[in-house]
Amino acid sequence: MSGPSDMPSMPYGQMRDQALGNRSIHTQLMEMVLSLRQTVEDNITQLMTRHQQQELALEKQRHNQAVRDQEAFLGHLMFQMLHYLQSGATGDQSFQPPDTSMDSRVNVGGGQQAQSSRQILVYQRSDFEDTLISYDLSNRGIDISALYHSSFQDYTYQGNKYHKDENTLGYINLGTSEKKICIDLLAERLSRTDMLYIDEDLLQYPDWRGQPFLRKEVARFLTSDCKAPARLDPENVVVLNGCSSVFSTLAMVLCDPGEAFLVPTPSHGGFILSTHLYAKVELVPVHLESQVTEASAYPFQLTVDKLEQALLRAKIEGKKVRGLVLSSHQNPLGDIYSQDSVMEYQEFGKKYNVHVIIDEFYMLSVFDEAIPFHSVLSLESLPDPNKTHVTWGTSKDFGISGFRFGTLYTRNREVASAVSSFGYLHSISGVTQYKLCQLLQDREWVDNVYLPIYRFRLQEAHGYITDKLKVLKVPFLNRGSGLYVWINLKQYLDPCTFEEELLLHCRFLDNKMILSRGKTFMCKEPGWFCLIFAARPLLLRSAIQWFHQVLVEQGQDWGVKQLEDAKKEEASTSQPAAPASLTLRKS
Amino acid sequence: MFILPQKDSGTPTTSPGSVSTQGLHSNHGDGLEREGSGKPDQKPLKLYGVGDPTAMFSSDSPYLSSRGSIIKWFWDSAEEGYRTYHMDEYEDENPSGIINLGTSENKLCFDLLSRRVSPGAPLGGIPSCKGLSSLGFLGTLAPESLLLASASVRSSALLSPVCPQLSQSDMLRVEPSLLQYPDWRGHLFLREEVARFLSFYCRSPAPLKPENVVVLNGCASLFSALATVLCEVGEAFLIPAPYYGAITQHVYLYGNVRLVCVYLDSEVTGLETRPFQLTVEKLEMALEGANSEGVKVKGLILINPQNPLGDVYSPGELQEYLKFAKRHELHVMVDEVYMLSVFEESVGYHSVLSLERLPDPQRTHVMWATSKDFGMSGLRFGTLYTENQDVATAVSSLCRYHGLSGLVQYQMAQLLRDRDWINQVYLPENHARLKAAHTYVSEELRALGIPFVSRGAGFFIWVDLRKYLPAATFEEEKLLWRRFLDNKVLLSFGQAFECKEPGWFRLVFSDKTHRLRLGMQRVRRVLEGKSQEPRGPHR
Repeated sequence: MSGPSDMPSMPYGQMRDQALGNRSIHTQLMEMVLSLRQTVEDNITQLMTRHQQQELALEKQRHNQAVRDQEAFLGHLMFQMLHYLQSGATGDQSFQPPDTSMDSRVNVGGGQQAQSSRQILVYQRSDFEDTLISYDLSNRGIDISALYHSSFQDYTYQGNKYHKDENTLGYINLGTSEKKICIDLLAERLSRTDMLYIDEDLLQYPDWRGQPFLRKEVARFLTSDCKAPARLDPENVVVLNGCSSVFSTLAMVLCDPGEAFLVPTPSHGGFILSTHLYAKVELVPVHLESQVTEASAYPFQLTVDKLEQALLRAKIEGKKVRGLVLSSHQNPLGDIYSQDSVMEYQEFGKKYNVHVIIDEFYMLSVFDEAIPFHSVLSLESLPDPNKTHVTWGTSKDFGISGFRFGTLYTRNREVASAVSSFGYLHSISGVTQYKLCQLLQDREWVDNVYLPIYRFRLQEAHGYITDKLKVLKVPFLNRGSGLYVWINLKQYLDPCTFEEELLLHCRFLDNKMILSRGKTFMCKEPGWFCLIFAARPLLLRSAIQWFHQVLVEQGQDWGVKQLEDAKKEEASTSQPAAPASLTLRKS
Repeated sequence: MFILPQKDSGTPTTSPGSVSTQGLHSNHGDGLEREGSGKPDQKPLKLYGVGDPTAMFSSDSPYLSSRGSIIKWFWDSAEEGYRTYHMDEYEDENPSGIINLGTSENKLCFDLLSRRVSPGAPLGGIPSCKGLSSLGFLGTLAPESLLLASASVRSSALLSPVCPQLSQSDMLRVEPSLLQYPDWRGHLFLREEVARFLSFYCRSPAPLKPENVVVLNGCASLFSALATVLCEVGEAFLIPAPYYGAITQHVYLYGNVRLVCVYLDSEVTGLETRPFQLTVEKLEMALEGANSEGVKVKGLILINPQNPLGDVYSPGELQEYLKFAKRHELHVMVDEVYMLSVFEESVGYHSVLSLERLPDPQRTHVMWATSKDFGMSGLRFGTLYTENQDVATAVSSLCRYHGLSGLVQYQMAQLLRDRDWINQVYLPENHARLKAAHTYVSEELRALGIPFVSRGAGFFIWVDLRKYLPAATFEEEKLLWRRFLDNKVLLSFGQAFECKEPGWFRLVFSDKTHRLRLGMQRVRRVLEGKSQEPRGPHR
């Protein structure tokens, strides 16, 4: 957008004339911000309408995208400012309504676009405190919308993505498992004419469990890829619009509000959202440790012992645990459970009468051939088949999260029926179901084109990133599967706390890199980060350079801090060992 | 549509019964149980009813949570008619199969749509005679729109000159951005198109804005999301009954929100000018009644054009209802999913978005979808328009669970922007076919001496079969419904719409002529008493 600097001048001037009275500085600031926002909005509207006259549809879309990016970014800044102001204005830090409530206040004065910002401000001023509370939403609605803005990725990143040519100052996202590593293959496959088909059934109300042809294909696909001992039954398949939906519905039908699932941590943050947002189900973490001890043969090993301890603790706290959520491979560790372990966890489930939900989203993303992946569905006999529920989707293994497809396989007809009740609310377009079916059906393409290239590219990217990490002396975990490495940056934290972890995370952000930090995976030990490597080589190269840069800066600060500490305690004789980062700086 | 039969208690909804299993607010539960004995059969003057889906539920499961068992009940019970139908659908190869006059789908324009949505795809249906003649329209269109309404290469010799390659690129575009995590509100290009589309077809006084649009996979999801973000657990929405019964499930499953029925009468009395007319007085009484039972009402649901009545609200009426809502600080959710299916020109339809001034724009939320107006219930596209950014944002947060594929979003945008095709091909043809089918069925009904309500909107006629019930009970209504089913025609019975008078049925007429004729023959046979008696208790 052109000339952002001149935007606030006009309304700001107007406002000062009328506003400088006996009002508090906060109110004035608030008005400034609001008018700034209004101006930005007007500007964008203008840009859009002007552009609508042009003809090229694609060009227009791109332009609109750019406008939206700007809007999102500016909007985010505004919200942040408002948020600070508002906490200052109320003088009560504990009261933190969602940012969005501020947004609506702009409209409350009359709601129509015809309203001038001045009129709105008059309304605003009349009851400043009240403007901070949303009257329109229920309490749970406020919680839900707070989540919308709580994620930096959703907001600023979407508005400002790094691009090697177009936006070299944009953000590089190594934090969410959004992967573009094979998007070219998928785009090509989905463009073929066999995807173009429609019949009356696809346009009419479907079977809410998923179209029979798709459930049949999913059963066939899983039978083959999970190496099931017997053919899987399409009647046990429920198809919904994404794995989040599958989790949400399972949480609904297996738990009552306030009941809990056990989940080994660190664990993918998406679970928390999906079990909480609608279903209000709690997660009881089974904390795993990086330390290798007698009990755990490798870092973050999940043992039945730990499961039992967590279960016991939950019981003591009065929590009712209804299930255990496992993912294999485990996001973010990249662990793949051995057949024996899977069996043990199942036995644990049976012994304590809890459901076992196993997420196998990454089952095709094992790129190291030395590592055997064993699906739960490959087991000859399950300890408690009626309480074993397997989920899979195409978001990760095929990298088409925009397709919205997730599936549940369960032999428990009651659970399948109950989940199917939600089919209406989590349905997939018939046209999309057809395409998915075509995709899964094309074994030739999946086995001989897609998977070999996909795994090769993963392996390459993994090799590249782990080599770099080794050079940087950053410890990491990864076992040859998945899209990320779990890295340990403890050595850059002083002291090693979650506060410092957050600060480092922010330092990455300041340097336009998004890395998910351990805390968001409910990791118990500060200092772990998740680094996605499933990106194209060019992006990865820039990313690792930036990453290096941040660590160098962090190391320098670390050094300065050490020096200051040393000065303060001159008497002290025991200097801590120089951190690895100091060596880095020289290199 | 999906009908929601109730357990055979004969009580529609007025008995709230036990609510404890759902963790509803306890202050509602106790009060309600004492109040909850009134059945509409016993108290015919009951003007409202607080719905409680849990009252209908009894079984328990070792695998499911309490709410899970209730949720499962919805699945099991909803299946009855639907499942019977799917096991024995009428097809050319199965002429003795069941004719579905129960599900509200438009099966009249598939030929037009399949060409538009997927050029190059084989045709699933044979256009009616009228349909074929109207295809002549295409000859007069600009080349660009020809591309859009282009040929089904395999089956339509009429349109063969059109270049199929071009037409394919129209609907089958796969860009990486469409395959990745979307903006949960929906892709901007689609929200812009929806805003333009609604501005035009709702005749809004000012252009509608894309930022007020949220896109998701159908209006069912929208009801669910709105219920969740506007109400606490156990709170309620007002809804004039009879109404599209599936809404009960939509607001309940996740939201745990109940519906308070505003019962409408078939009798025309006093101020009312037509059967089942909604008046502010009735709204006030229902609201007061719910309040007196300790039920907190947060909003009002209006369906316009109405399902199952096929009625439309005048701008004056709309204003009154909206003012009522404003007085009581209620949100109004206006479901306009049949907005373009008003086939009788004399019926002046007015979208709520066409009103010059909304009494309470921040609490007015409009819903639309392509399921009905474009006969694509399987495509799963619905949209919310609200000026309230709090609500838009909160609903968007839930769109993580109600998203639709990027490729479908692209196709939708293409469809909605094709104004020429919509205005010159699709809508005229669709309305003509709806009108013809409606005329046929209403004449059949008149010949049978059966009263009905229908004003020329929607896909259905609300039929008064009260005189065919030996006793005015919902048991008898259900028996008659079964007799229809036994004679291979599926209708929807009034109780599924929370109608308080037993004996009303919804008959969907938007089907191909041959099926419709056969369906009506079967209806006639049942009503003229030539029907087979129920064969066994399982039926």
